[in-house]
Amino acid sequence: MIEDINLKEIQRKVYLTFFQDGLWDIFLGLFILGWGLSILTEAAYLPGVSFLGIYFAIWGIKKWLIYPRIGYVRFSASSRRRITARFIIFLTVVLLLGIIAGLVWGIGTRPQWLADYFPLIFNGMLAAIVCLAAYWARVNRFYLHAVLIFLGAVFHLWLGIRWEFGFIGAGGIIVLIGLGILIIFLRKYPKMVEEAQNSDRQ
Amino acid sequence: MTDNNSEVQEPITKIDKLIHEPSRYMLLAYLYVVEVADFLFLLRQTGMTWGNLSAHLSKLEAAGYVVIEKEFLGKKPHTTVRLTDQGRNAFEEYRGNMKRVLDNLPAK
Repeated sequence: MIEDINLKEIQRKVYLTFFQDGLWDIFLGLFILGWGLSILTEAAYLPGVSFLGIYFAIWGIKKWLIYPRIGYVRFSASSRRRITARFIIFLTVVLLLGIIAGLVWGIGTRPQWLADYFPLIFNGMLAAIVCLAAYWARVNRFYLHAVLIFLGAVFHLWLGIRWEFGFIGAGGIIVLIGLGILIIFLRKYPKMVEEAQNSDRQ
Repeated sequence: MTDNNSEVQEPITKIDKLIHEPSRYMLLAYLYVVEVADFLFLLRQTGMTWGNLSAHLSKLEAAGYVVIEKEFLGKKPHTTVRLTDQGRNAFEEYRGNMKRVLDNLPAK
């Protein structure tokens, strides 16, 4: 019995419940989509606005749609500290990437190779960040999302597809993957309100 | 021979029978790795029935191993469960005793 129940495995199982609903895939997909639309419409505020807007919306949806289905769990204080630290590092890297990209793109005279391969470098960095998130969150499908993001730049450079369409395409596919996971999740875990009320009366 | 027997038997006698029940052990294992979980979460994770889960939690609560808190979120009742320090210590002690029992078994 004691050999069968591995506490680390249980911790991992509990942790993964956080990602099993597909909402974080939708978050990432919409963020990438927002990035593509910001290049298309030259609205520089779109990635930031979409990032914050979707982030808070996700928490609202979690509370309204997800917790009544799988229940609520609060991780231990040490786990919460670790997750918060990683999230802050993640956000900082994303912000730095945005600033560096803005500065590099904004300077008047840049080497030709940088201009030529900037989309590849930028998407590569973005894909690396998503890989980092996949590694930290231990959610393997995020590696696929990273590949999709990187492919956007590859298609742009070698197939001539506009750079922003690479973002929009990758973001759209990631959103669809997230929606698919969400639909499967909602079917697998219907609401259990009545039973919960009965059990609470015991 | 007597020494060997007492070496094996001593941790066995210390095994907490309340925790030794597989469902309760599983519940404590889940509660050990989190700070607090609600009834529904434990139900989904363990695959128990409502009645079963409720009965096991009541036994653990009676032993002082868990605290069950009931509250209302709007008009909906919400039950949360957390491991007490006593429960945490008992769980760790149980695992230690079981490990010693298994380690002391002679090799085939």
